Amino acid sequence: MPSMSMLGPDTRRQLEIRHYPLLVYVLVPLASLVLQAWLPRVVSPYDFFDLPLVVTVYFALGRPSPVQGTVMGAAMGLFEDALSHHAIGINGIAKTTAGFLAASLGIRIDVENQTIRLVLIFVLSLLSSSLFVFIYRFLLGLDLEWRWQTELFRAVGNSLIALVLFPLLDRLQIRD
Amino acid sequence: MESFFTRYRSLVVLLAFLMVQIMGLAVQVRRTPGGHRTIDSADPAAVRLIRLWAESLVSPSEKLVQYSKLGVAGLWQNYIDLRHVRQQNKDLEQTIDRLRLEQASLLEDARQGERLQALLDFQHRYIYSTLAAQAIGSSGSDQSRVFYLDKGSNYGLQPDMAVISADGIVGKVRDVFPRTAQVLLINDQTSGAGVILETTRIRGILTGNASGQLEIVGILKDERIKPGEKVFTAGGDLVFPRGLPVGQVEKVVPDPDRDAFIDIIVKPYAHLDRLDEVLVITDTQPRFSPQDEQDLATSEAVKGAEADAIKEQLKASQINAEHLPGLIDPSLPPEQQPLLDSSNPNPVAHPPQPLHPDRFTPLEQAPSEPSAPAGQNKNPQQSPKPAAPQRNP
Repeated sequence: MPSMSMLGPDTRRQLEIRHYPLLVYVLVPLASLVLQAWLPRVVSPYDFFDLPLVVTVYFALGRPSPVQGTVMGAAMGLFEDALSHHAIGINGIAKTTAGFLAASLGIRIDVENQTIRLVLIFVLSLLSSSLFVFIYRFLLGLDLEWRWQTELFRAVGNSLIALVLFPLLDRLQIRD
Repeated sequence: MESFFTRYRSLVVLLAFLMVQIMGLAVQVRRTPGGHRTIDSADPAAVRLIRLWAESLVSPSEKLVQYSKLGVAGLWQNYIDLRHVRQQNKDLEQTIDRLRLEQASLLEDARQGERLQALLDFQHRYIYSTLAAQAIGSSGSDQSRVFYLDKGSNYGLQPDMAVISADGIVGKVRDVFPRTAQVLLINDQTSGAGVILETTRIRGILTGNASGQLEIVGILKDERIKPGEKVFTAGGDLVFPRGLPVGQVEKVVPDPDRDAFIDIIVKPYAHLDRLDEVLVITDTQPRFSPQDEQDLATSEAVKGAEADAIKEQLKASQINAEHLPGLIDPSLPPEQQPLLDSSNPNPVAHPPQPLHPDRFTPLEQAPSEPSAPAGQNKNPQQSPKPAAPQRNP
């Protein structure tokens, strides 16, 4: 049996693609959106997490197709925007980019390694926050106060949630 | 050409998604006459439709989660509290009786206040009708401090209605859907409310900062503003009625942009991050319920008897005053005042004079002989206040 390193990119991609029941693709993102809307009222002020981003990155890494990562990120971001009171598209752009990058990196790196996944979610959280501020303040020219400590805490929070959530979601995948 | 799109399909899809969203953002932002850019408070139809879809998809689950939480908590609390409910009920009935009288009295004052304000052409708004609602979810983002209520336009909610809790103001209704409504919290950066400080009577605009704190911005430096001072709504923003509790001053910090100004950090009375039950002020027009009218009649009956008794007392004192001589008669010249009349059978008593002048005695009176009126005891030993002893032997 040839080793993984000897396989071509397409073959390796086919081997690494994870499959889940259709219900998981629907319910997990929906649950993340509902919990993101409900949990901050329960755990505030320690609401340093972004569950839709964590779920976006997870599915983007699991199915390393940049197009699917882009679509997933856009849908989750637009959904978050729709529940807020600011313009629709700010989170959409941030999470579209994050989903695309996660899926693009998923092709090139070992996504089974838990440490790599945590580092990835940490970096992508910071990137998503940076894009949000950039779009809000510079692209749209709107007033927005923000604290970099909050975004750092959120990235750490996302990593901690991923530490627990990713192995749980791994159990839901269909194994041949 | 075909190979280009096939080869760079992912990038093309990404750029397409980004471009569509950027164009969508462009139509939502507009430039104000002052040159600032802002987002329309009233969403365009397409944006509102997206919000409605998102809300319709999420709110049933949120309601289910929230009601389940309340159900479990309520079951437990009710079981524990049932042990004392009989005594509490008795106490509450007594409290209700007392409060009804007080409420009726306040209603009377409110009516009078409205009449006076109408006379002055200076209309403030009072709360006359509220609707209880349950908070079911939030935006999930600290850059957008909004939450959702489980009632919407089906219950008569409209945009810009004030939302309060038992502790203080909470926010205002921003967007209304048939079954839910979105409330903008007062600690959001885009929020604003007119407020007034209780003792210094300084007015300002209350808004939120990046940390979710409340702050009154653009206040001139004033040493009188101290932590602990209470903050109330000023009533000039057409959203919050006047006099609602907001919070108290936590600290005063210098304005980072302007030297002569300060920002006042306010600690809200309402627990803005742990809201469950809130009240939406649905009506500020004067309208008394039949129960209010009945309480008012009871109050008038009770207060009427008291008022009659007070009137009788006043009348009796006026009659007595007419029969008794007055000390000062404004119609007479000073030398003919009853106070100086020697024929007066009840003259005014003067304080006794000292035997020897001392340093406390006025100079112009010291040499003169005291003119004690009739009936006045001249013996200094029996005077109520003897003169101070002389310092020199």
